[in-house]
This record gives sequence, C-alpha cells and structure tokens, in this order.
Amino acid sequence: MLRSIFLDALKNLSGNALRSGLTMLGVIIGVAAVITMIAIVEGGQVWLVNSLERMGTNLLFVWKKRLTVEERQLFVGRNTELRYDDALAIQTRFPDLLVAPIIELDGQLKAGDRDYSGRITGTSPEYSQIRNFRPESGRFVSSIDIKEWNRSVVLGHTIAEVLFGSQPAIGEGVKIGDQRFTVKGIMEPKGEIYGHDYDEMVIIPISTGLRFFQGTDKIRSMIIHVPDRQRMDEISQALHQFLVQRHEGVDDIHIRNQGEFLSAVDQTLLTFRLVLGGIAVIALLVGGIGIMNIMLVTVTERTREIGLRKAIGARRQDILLQFLIESTTISVIGGSIGIAVGILAAYGIGDVVAKAMPGGGDWGAVVQPTAIAIAFAFAVVVGVGFGLFPAMKASKLEPAEALRYQ
Amino acid sequence: MLIELNHIFKIYQAGHVEVPALIDITLQVNKGEFVAIIGQSGSGKTTLLDIIGCLSRPTNGEYWLDGDLVNTLPDSRLTGIRNKKIGFIFQTFHLLPRKTALENVQLPLMYAGVSRTVQHDTAQALLAKVGLQDRLRHYSNQLSGGQQQRVAIARALANNPALLLADEPTGNLDSQSGKDILALFEELHRHGQTIVMITHDPLIAQQAERRITLADGRVVADEAMHQPLPVPG
Repeated sequence: MLRSIFLDALKNLSGNALRSGLTMLGVIIGVAAVITMIAIVEGGQVWLVNSLERMGTNLLFVWKKRLTVEERQLFVGRNTELRYDDALAIQTRFPDLLVAPIIELDGQLKAGDRDYSGRITGTSPEYSQIRNFRPESGRFVSSIDIKEWNRSVVLGHTIAEVLFGSQPAIGEGVKIGDQRFTVKGIMEPKGEIYGHDYDEMVIIPISTGLRFFQGTDKIRSMIIHVPDRQRMDEISQALHQFLVQRHEGVDDIHIRNQGEFLSAVDQTLLTFRLVLGGIAVIALLVGGIGIMNIMLVTVTERTREIGLRKAIGARRQDILLQFLIESTTISVIGGSIGIAVGILAAYGIGDVVAKAMPGGGDWGAVVQPTAIAIAFAFAVVVGVGFGLFPAMKASKLEPAEALRYQ
Repeated sequence: MLIELNHIFKIYQAGHVEVPALIDITLQVNKGEFVAIIGQSGSGKTTLLDIIGCLSRPTNGEYWLDGDLVNTLPDSRLTGIRNKKIGFIFQTFHLLPRKTALENVQLPLMYAGVSRTVQHDTAQALLAKVGLQDRLRHYSNQLSGGQQQRVAIARALANNPALLLADEPTGNLDSQSGKDILALFEELHRHGQTIVMITHDPLIAQQAERRITLADGRVVADEAMHQPLPVPG
C-alpha cells in the first residue's frame, strides 16, 4: 500500500508537469539565490583579505595620540611629538624590524607644461619592502637619498602617466614647489587598497621632505614590519614602552596591530553578510510564496481530488502521505537543481565581476557547503510546509464538502 | 436489511440561521433492491445520498448500514466502509484527470491495500465488464462522457460493494449514453446488486423497482413499481 501510494504520488507529479514545474521553480529560485549571494559575499571576503595582505603583513602602525588641553598643559616643555629621531632610535634598538617613518605634504608637481597637485609622501627605503610595493622601472628611494637629502622622486603609476604620458620619465626633472627633483623610479600598478590609492603616490626621501618642505622633524606615522607574526603583541608593547620613555614618560603614542585592523574589516564583512543573508532569506520566502501560490491556485482541484479519494476509501493519513511524498519530491528535485543553478550563477557572476573590477583578476565566488546545506534545508521545509498545508486543511473537511468544493 | 434510517435529521448552520435539509427521514432498503430517490432540486436528495454514502453525518437520528450503526463510528471506520461497502457514481464522474481509466479504477483497490498485481487485474476485468477493454490506457479527457461514466462505474464496483450509490448518473450524458448506463444498472441489478439512485427525472426513476419521493427534506411518497417500464428514449 505504501509503495502504491508512493508510485501514485510520483505519477501525480509527472501527470501535472506544469504544476510541478512551477512549484519547483519557486524552490529553484530560492535555493539558487541563497547559494549565489553567499558565494559572492564569501568571494568578496577572500578578495578583501587578499588585498589586505597585498598591503603587507605583520605590520604595526604607530601614530601620535591627540592630547587633551589638560594633558598638553601638564606636559608642556616635554618632548611629546613623534619625531624622525624616534624612528631612527627604534631601528637602532630593534635591528630586526623594518621601520618606515612617514610624512605627508601637500604640494604641486610640474613637469614641462603638465602639473599635478596632491599629496607627497616622504618615507624611507624600507617602505617599499614593508608595503610589498615595488618600482616597475628605475628604483625606489635609497639610503643614499636619505643620507644626502637628494631631491629624488618616485612616482605612482597614475601620476607618471599624468605628468609624462607615454614618454619615458626616469631621469626627467620634476618641480615640486620651487625645488627641482629628478624622477628615479615609477612604481608598479597596485590599485586602491582600503581607501588608499597607491598609484597616486608621489614618494620622496623623508630626509629631503623634512629639510626642504617641513622644516621640523615631526613625522605623521610609522609603519613597522615585524618578522615573526607570533611576536607582534610583544613587540608592540616593547615599542610602546620604548617610545614613552623617549617622550619623557608621556604616553602620547598609539600603536595599532594589523590584526586588529583585520578584525575591524571582519566586522564590516559580517554586517555585509548579514544584509545579503537577509536578502537571501527574502529570496527564499519569495520562492516559498511562489510555491504557496501554485498550491492555492490548484487548491480547488486538489480539494475535490482529496474529497474523491476520501470517498473511495483514502484515510486522512493516506492523503497526507501522498502530499508529503509529492511536496518532498518537488522540494528535493527543485532544491538539487537550485544548487546546480546557484553554483553556476555564482561562478558566472564572479567572472563578470572579476572582469569589471580594476585589479579584480583574483576575484572569484566562493561556494560554501554550509550555504548549500542551509538553502537546501530551508527550501525543503518551505516546500513541504506549503505543500502539506492545503492538504491538511482539505483532508479535515467532510468528504461531501470536499467533493463539491467550489 | 442493508440500509435502515431512523428519524434522520440534517440541519445546516448558515450563520445564526438553521437550515433543515432533511427532516425526520425513516426508511429501509433491502439487499438487492433498486431504489430511485426522486425530488426537485433543493428537496434534500443529495444530502440524503451523502448520509447514506457516509460522506456526511446526520445531525440527528440513527443510520444502520449492513449491521453497523454508522453514525456513531469514527472517521477511520467510515473510510473503511466507504471503501469496501459503497461504490459511488457521480453526475460529474469525478474521475481524476491526468490518470488513465485503469489507474482510476485501481484507486479504491489501492486504498483497500491489495497488491499491485491484483489491483491491475481486477481493474482490467472491471473495465472489460463495462465494455472498455480497449480503453484501458486512455486518459479521462480522451474518453466520451458515457465512457467516463463507465470508468466511474467500474471504479465503483472495484471492491465489490454491497451498495451502489448513484447521483444523477445520466445527468451529464446524451440520451443514448444515458440509456446505455441505465441498461448497465439494470444488468447489475439483475445479478443482485443493491442500487440507490438519485434523480430529478421521473422517466429515469421508472427504471427502478421502487421510488422514494422527497420534498422539502421529507419523504412524501414511497411506492413500489412492480413492472419497470422499458428504458425511455
């Protein structure tokens, strides 16, 4: 009898191909939407983490902390600035670290009749290595540049194009303010990472910047590379102590670990994920409502069918079993097709996005097994729920009422 | 005695108004009888058929079917009684669409729990009996009205029921098909089948050997018709 009801239910599905197909479509849309969206979010996350790693890894960022009015009055006369000397002292005290002190200046560059106004970065040769940011041609700022206050400049990819177009730039002169600089290198294209466009950088030796433009030895920040990831926290604390000591006991510096930075990014991504997850749930619900609509449209015919089946001897559990088999079959088949469609769509959209994004070559969707499982389980629950609900209602009617249901 | 109705009432609730559909119906039907229940539309004949067929329960009164007091039985027992003891024939056939003649006739056998082989063989034999041996694999929409009603009769006979209940069996058929169906009833009756048939058409009612007339929910006449007239038309 079970076998008969099972075969009968399957025959109902194939006999009503249109109805089965439309219902399945609801399941397919829901499942595919969830899988695709989650895969794209995951892809975005992987891409972002990769981008951050391109920024360089094992980094500590050192800033000067803003002091309150009271603190400034309290510490007046003491050495409370982050200075170039601090960077040099750190390098001497911790020889295995790579230290890149940074200053930022606003300035105008002129090369022939072309000019560019923007930010100029002064730093040390270590910057290139720390940021994993190499010259495409020529060289980066060198230690001789630093020692001799050379007026050397290294241009980001975009800036080189702005100033020189397709002409060779290495060895050419560039005026920054009223100083004459020589282009020593053009950086590789790197793109924008977390709001900072590396291709728009203009880099000069920090000593030159301090001497010719700034007139003080205050620096904006330092980036420090720690060779051993395990020792990041330990070194961060040691540096902090060292700097406070140099600043005559004033705690006016702030050291941030790249790990903390990554966890802030993770937080952002989580929000992003929740939002898209919400959209995915809505997609599933829309699919579910699609299923429910098909069920409601056919409820008249199906109620009469239930009435007839009860009249000729079907028990309530026989009816429910039949509808359970029908809706489970539809949900499982639809869910499986949805998985396939979702995966294909994820990779398809991933490809399109990768091609559309500047520097997005390594972008790709990441299909998560958990996403597949959740989407599938949800679809089956919704499909079976909506499939069974009208049957439960109809099978409660007296057969006389169900048979003549209008 | 196959059917015994004692003081049956059926009252529908329409909002706060009670609408009596059947009022104090008492009647008996013996095994082997061919009874026509006749009445205008709204006289309560379909309600009476629903109660006799255990498709609906009376509001009041006793209903004995083949020795069981069915108005007190739980739904699950009524289902079994409908399956084994009653065969239904409806005006609109009520075949399942998108199923073949054979599959439709197999349904009551499936719910009776017999094996698939028996289901198939019995259904095939019954369809042959109603003259559709060459239409086994036709779908309902590929059959004429008369043929569909024959499939319905084969389905009604599937579990060899004690009672055949027909609700306007010729109502949707042309006169020739109607005549054929009535001839089939006559044939079944000759072999001892108990038949209760509802109709509003006195000519069709003349096929039966007994005629019960309903009006406004009451039995107003119950007459034997010793010599059935030839099939009209």
